[in-house]
Amino acid sequence: MGVMRIGHINLRVLDMQAALRHYRDVLGMVPTDEDHKGNVYLKCWDEWDKYSVMLSPADRAGMNHVAYKVERDSDLDDIKARIRDYGREVEELAPGELPYCGRALRFKMPSGHLMYLYADKEFVGTSVGTLNPDPWPDDIRGAGAHWLDHVLLLCELNPEAGVNKVVENETFFRDVLGFRLTEQLMAGPDKSVKALAFMTVSIKPHDIAFVGGPCNGLHHCSFFLEDWGDVLRAADVMGKNRVKMDVTPQRHGITRGKTIYFFDPSGNRNETFAGLGYAAYPDMPVITWTDDQIGSAIFYHTGEIHEAFTAVYTEGY
Amino acid sequence: MADGEPRQSMPAQDGARLHRITLRETGESYACAGDRSLLKAMVALGRRGIPSGCHGGGCGVCKIRVLEGSVRCEAMSRSHVSVEEQATGYALACRAYPLSDVVLEVVGGMRKGLTRRYGLL
Ligand code: FES
Repeated sequence: MGVMRIGHINLRVLDMQAALRHYRDVLGMVPTDEDHKGNVYLKCWDEWDKYSVMLSPADRAGMNHVAYKVERDSDLDDIKARIRDYGREVEELAPGELPYCGRALRFKMPSGHLMYLYADKEFVGTSVGTLNPDPWPDDIRGAGAHWLDHVLLLCELNPEAGVNKVVENETFFRDVLGFRLTEQLMAGPDKSVKALAFMTVSIKPHDIAFVGGPCNGLHHCSFFLEDWGDVLRAADVMGKNRVKMDVTPQRHGITRGKTIYFFDPSGNRNETFAGLGYAAYPDMPVITWTDDQIGSAIFYHTGEIHEAFTAVYTEGY
Repeated sequence: MADGEPRQSMPAQDGARLHRITLRETGESYACAGDRSLLKAMVALGRRGIPSGCHGGGCGVCKIRVLEGSVRCEAMSRSHVSVEEQATGYALACRAYPLSDVVLEVVGGMRKGLTRRYGLL
């Protein structure tokens, strides 16, 4: 089957204690380990692998890498060959080089973002277990996020210079990694410039998304909540904890997701994303938005994009 | 109380001392307590002048230069303020807490990409 789902994101943080307060107490993640380099590993209560967020102490904010999990170990060989055939470099890492994971592939997306693929990660189990489980555990903290859902990466887009890393990433993810396009935003005078690509490898509206920008960057990483009530409660938790919110509860046109955008204490943007929107089966027709409707595409209620949403981001490499 | 920490109802102690923050370009000024970032105090008062972004020292849009007075800074992304720059008064307003009255100039800004005309970033 190949790539199955997002596995984890490795974020750089400026103050580990503040970051921990945020990911643990506000998002509700569970710390599972810390290594001798000071990296802290966390998982959501509904996730079973050891971590979906790896926080690395650093003096600049942003993302080091994003990792996706493949279904079978042999998928790694197939994909490695496909990446090489596509003319791009790929490295194979021994088990353990990617923390708590089996052997892994490391390569750069056409946009320059660093990506890993692995088939195995240390198993911890969800907080409710697998035998006659309760619907949720009693010790949920903060927003009680269920799982790391997706990332939105900023990719260089400069049509005058013939650069469109959104399209290059989309093609690579489709032809090499087996992702499918669910939604796109077309921009420019004749709507011929693809400025947004949402891609899935499951039946979720997106497992990764790419947006055009002046450079490579991390726009946000997103955590799943069950419904609108959870979104509102999460916003209360953020208010109580004085978390900087970028966009208070609102609905997306694209994906129909219910969202809050906010920042971790190092300025990396997070999202809580509720609802599965629709089932993106492989035969679902691609949805197209045009940039004259971009306000509604992104923020369906207000139909308006505020400046900071597009101009504020951290580094993606 | 710093951002990211739970709200408390306790009256603040020393950190509550108010300092006057003046934006050199516009002459606009506002009061900021010693335990509030220059950016947070400005937005909380509904003032404008310093661009407001991530409030975490990560995005760089709130970059300022302190011309008079002094500030205490928490961790800032070195991509946006280098050690040398910090030594000459540069700071991120969301990570800077006043130690005295301050006069500053705004250096940062919302980044507008070449691609803005393509409707997005
Ligand atoms: S608002 Fe982002 S660095 Fe200050």
